[in-house]
Amino acid sequence: MDRNQLAKWLKSPVEMANKYSLHAVYFCTGCGIIEIPPVITARWDAERFGIKAVATPRQGNLFMITGYVSLKTLKAIIRTYEQMPDPKYTVAFGSCPINGGMYWDSYNTIKHLDKYIPIDGWIAGCMPRPEAVFIGVTHLWTLIDKGKADGYIRYSKNYASYRRNQEMLFGDLGWPPLYPSESPAEEARA
Amino acid sequence: MVTRIIHIVLSPLIALVVAVFLLGLSRIVIARIHRRYGPPIYQPIIDIIRLMNQQSISHGTLFELGVVLALAGSIVTVLFIPLGGTNAPPGSYPLAHGLLCPLSSSGGLLVVIYLMLFGPVSIALGAGASENPNASIGVSRKMLLALAYEVPFLLVILAIMSHYGTISIAEIVSRQQDSAWGVFSVPLSAVAAFLILPAMLGIRPFDLVGAPQEIASGPLAEYGGRYLALLTIQNGIQVFVVIALFVNLFLGGGVNVITFLLKVFAVFLAAELVSAVLPRVRIENALRFCWTWPTGLALAQMIITVVSR
Amino acid sequence: MLPTTILIVAFGSAGFVYLAGRVHARVRDTLAVLSSLVLVGLIGLGYGAWREVVYVPDFLGLELVLRLNLLAWFFAITVAAVVSLSTIFSLSYMRRKESANFHYSATLAVEGAMLGTVFAGDLLSFFIFWEIMSWSAYLLISCNRGRALEAGLKYIIMSLVGSCAMLIGLLAMYSGLGVLSIPLVAEGMQAASPGFVLLVLLTFGLGFGIKSAMVPLHTWLPDAHSEAASPFSAVLSGVLIKMGIYGFVLLMYVVVGLKLLLGVGAGWLTFRHILCWLGAITVVVPTFIAVLQSDAKRLLAWSSIGQIGYIILGLSFGTSLAFAGAIFHALNHALCKSLLFLAVGAVEHNTGGVRDLNDLGGLAKRMPVTFACALLAGLGLIGIPLTSGFVPKWLIYRSLIEDGYPFLALAALIGTWGAILYVYKLLHNIFLGQLPEKHREVRRAPLSMRIPILLLGLGILVFGVVPGIPLRAVQDIGHTFGLAQLKVTLWGLGSEAGALNMLNICLAVVIAFAAAFLLLRLGAKGRAVDQEDSYAAGSAVPVGRYHYTVDFYGPLSRMISPYLRDRADEFYYWLAARGREIADLTRKVYTGYAGTYVLYIVSFLAALIFLQLVWHIW
Repeated sequence: MDRNQLAKWLKSPVEMANKYSLHAVYFCTGCGIIEIPPVITARWDAERFGIKAVATPRQGNLFMITGYVSLKTLKAIIRTYEQMPDPKYTVAFGSCPINGGMYWDSYNTIKHLDKYIPIDGWIAGCMPRPEAVFIGVTHLWTLIDKGKADGYIRYSKNYASYRRNQEMLFGDLGWPPLYPSESPAEEARA
Repeated sequence: MVTRIIHIVLSPLIALVVAVFLLGLSRIVIARIHRRYGPPIYQPIIDIIRLMNQQSISHGTLFELGVVLALAGSIVTVLFIPLGGTNAPPGSYPLAHGLLCPLSSSGGLLVVIYLMLFGPVSIALGAGASENPNASIGVSRKMLLALAYEVPFLLVILAIMSHYGTISIAEIVSRQQDSAWGVFSVPLSAVAAFLILPAMLGIRPFDLVGAPQEIASGPLAEYGGRYLALLTIQNGIQVFVVIALFVNLFLGGGVNVITFLLKVFAVFLAAELVSAVLPRVRIENALRFCWTWPTGLALAQMIITVVSR
Repeated sequence: MLPTTILIVAFGSAGFVYLAGRVHARVRDTLAVLSSLVLVGLIGLGYGAWREVVYVPDFLGLELVLRLNLLAWFFAITVAAVVSLSTIFSLSYMRRKESANFHYSATLAVEGAMLGTVFAGDLLSFFIFWEIMSWSAYLLISCNRGRALEAGLKYIIMSLVGSCAMLIGLLAMYSGLGVLSIPLVAEGMQAASPGFVLLVLLTFGLGFGIKSAMVPLHTWLPDAHSEAASPFSAVLSGVLIKMGIYGFVLLMYVVVGLKLLLGVGAGWLTFRHILCWLGAITVVVPTFIAVLQSDAKRLLAWSSIGQIGYIILGLSFGTSLAFAGAIFHALNHALCKSLLFLAVGAVEHNTGGVRDLNDLGGLAKRMPVTFACALLAGLGLIGIPLTSGFVPKWLIYRSLIEDGYPFLALAALIGTWGAILYVYKLLHNIFLGQLPEKHREVRRAPLSMRIPILLLGLGILVFGVVPGIPLRAVQDIGHTFGLAQLKVTLWGLGSEAGALNMLNICLAVVIAFAAAFLLLRLGAKGRAVDQEDSYAAGSAVPVGRYHYTVDFYGPLSRMISPYLRDRADEFYYWLAARGREIADLTRKVYTGYAGTYVLYIVSFLAALIFLQLVWHIW
């Protein structure tokens, strides 16, 4: 542990713990996942930064979407995201989640992922190399430090609009809203 | 009376600290064997702080009660296990002062066998309260794995109890300190117990209960936040309890807490070394393995013990 | 006169309840519950007033005696309590059922017969009440028709075999000793030859073994327990099979006596050794058969056999620790198993007769009280500390280990692990996991079902935390048989090495629970979510289409089911088939053809004439 970090630990242990214990749920939507094994195994060893893969969203706080998002997987992504407890951070990995990438003209691929769930950080590239993942992680740390990794807060604040976008795509989502709207009037306005 | 209360507070605290330390140690050791650098040793503390402050979801009262009962059961089990110290008169060993075992006179090894059930059964109940299919599968595996290792484990325990003619762990420990360690007087049992140690600790090759890649960490699939934090602590204490039992039964406990803990670390490292290089087995293989070699060895030792009495 | 009054009340109310049922259902219900409660009260009053009553002074030159002592009282109060709770339970269960009249009156008759059996002061009245018990239980088992009829037939045939064996023993005793009053018989046995003692042990042991369902005489039990109506299953499993245990106690500790018993047999082949190994087999094999069952009541039935094994194991040792464990476990099993049968009955009642474990699930939220008590009873069967199951099992294990029988102890401990497997399967598949679509509308059990379940659950908890209450009675019983006195305290046992103190364990658990709870409260608050909201790789868990607990222990069942065939049952069926074939052969004599009959007559006459000519008999 760095000596200059000790003060930070004493000042705000919760934020520091959030930073250094990123338990990641990798949503293996496309080819991007191929870069994750080198990240977490012997060559680059993400565990030294406290990053660990977990199996269910209930246990994690980092949501990595690796690869293109088709219409069908988007539904699963939304549900998994909503099942993850706060605070949680979302990182989209590769060019496909950013703007569709090489599937820019596909009828079935989502081009604007942040219309449906809030994204805290993007890692560009096709594929991004493992080094890029670590640069992304250090950027995420900075964001957490500055309090700007606030995707989950934005999601709860603008839930009505996110939900509307989701429902425009799917019709009925099949599960009740995560944040029930405050008043019927607001619902009507939405 | 005052020393007793101090002991009652002290032994769970020791267990807690050592448990968290063991969890960190195991992550480093495995990382180094995999030629990784590994996390810092205090990583489990960071994880627990993070989990305690993360929001969680709950599926109802039983879901929460399962976690609390599991942790309570593990803490109670610690009270029945001697954590070093000796009953020998003061001055015969350096640094030794009384046995650190607050409830040594309440039922002995038989109670410990039962109390060690408390944790798994409570987690199983809590996991059952969620509707997650993976939890059901994981619990079924846990029950069968417990049956698999419990057959040789009971044989081992019975061989020791009939070898020393007592059911009190404290007495078994003091008898070992007076003469040879259990690993020399009941060697086959010691080997059998070591073979099933990974299964009792729930580490590879027997980590099929919470297999993350197959069944999304099984019984823990729905647990997050503070519940997962408590279950992490519970898992650590359970690991400590199993290894402390092994040390008490085969390595003569410890004349004081420090030697005892050193022995615990040694046994834990040995078990981790086995675990780090082996792949996961299926539940059928686990049953078959536990019921052949460890059971055979333990049975042989028990027959020897009974005949030579 | 108390024992006589009790029996008169029991049998009298059996008759009156039937008549009242003809008048109005509500009158019948009130009368049945009242009389069963009065019986509990009467027996409770009888504590300490030990006496003997001659109720028939001269029956073929014999006095028929009823006697009340601590042993009889202990069993009688258990019987009366369980039967009265089962009767209260029947109020909802039996409502609008055709056979309700018969059910109530026959249950009371069974209770009377069981009370008569334990109060009997001589072996003849013991036998008479025993037979009444067997027959009325037969009528109740086969009450449901269909498969129940077959189960009842199996039960009564095996019971009759046992009764015949007992009758042989009884006649041998009468012709050998000339008396049947229990104290006089016990005196006479001390001077009897070892062969005679063995004959008595074997004949009576056969009868008691069949009633208490000891392996290999157990085959009637799984069918009978699962086919009977649930409230009666509770009586059957809770107390009726305990009559076999009472018989064993009477036979081994009173009639034959401890000193004589330990001397029967030679070398390793003693009665005691055979009995304790039979007990060990009774623990292990049925327990693992129970693990593989998928019918809730059948699972419980097999588990009953397994738990009886512990009692027999404890009884066969003849040490005060083991004896105390056995009798205490009889009480514990009566509480736990009747609770579990009642709970399964409540589930059956609420879901419209479903008791297939693959068809239920998730009912804990719909029936919380039933679930909590069933959980307690399950833990009691396993023997978790702070339930009434812990102390008896601890006593049995400890005496097995300290007397130097580690292999028997292994059987007992493995039986406990099997118990964990089947108890968890039962609770999980009924109350936990996914709630099937068709059971969404299930409501909680009616009050008359919850009260008995709650009371039994309370009993399990109280006797678990304060084991001194029953232990004192049990060790007084043992003391009258000449067993060494135990140092019983209110919280457990106070002997020097390996003592047991439930207060310590209880306090430790409470404090640890509080600590763990505080730790949980330190964390960030949780958000309550619906049970359906669970992680299944991003999609919804399909409801109603799958059941994840079907074949819960599949890998184990694939491994061990080839070895777990019920060979005893197969043997009896083989025997029955051979018997039928022989009977079939004799039937062939009657061909239905007049010529054959003429031939028979002519050849018979020819034989007579031949006899007369050769030997000049007449």
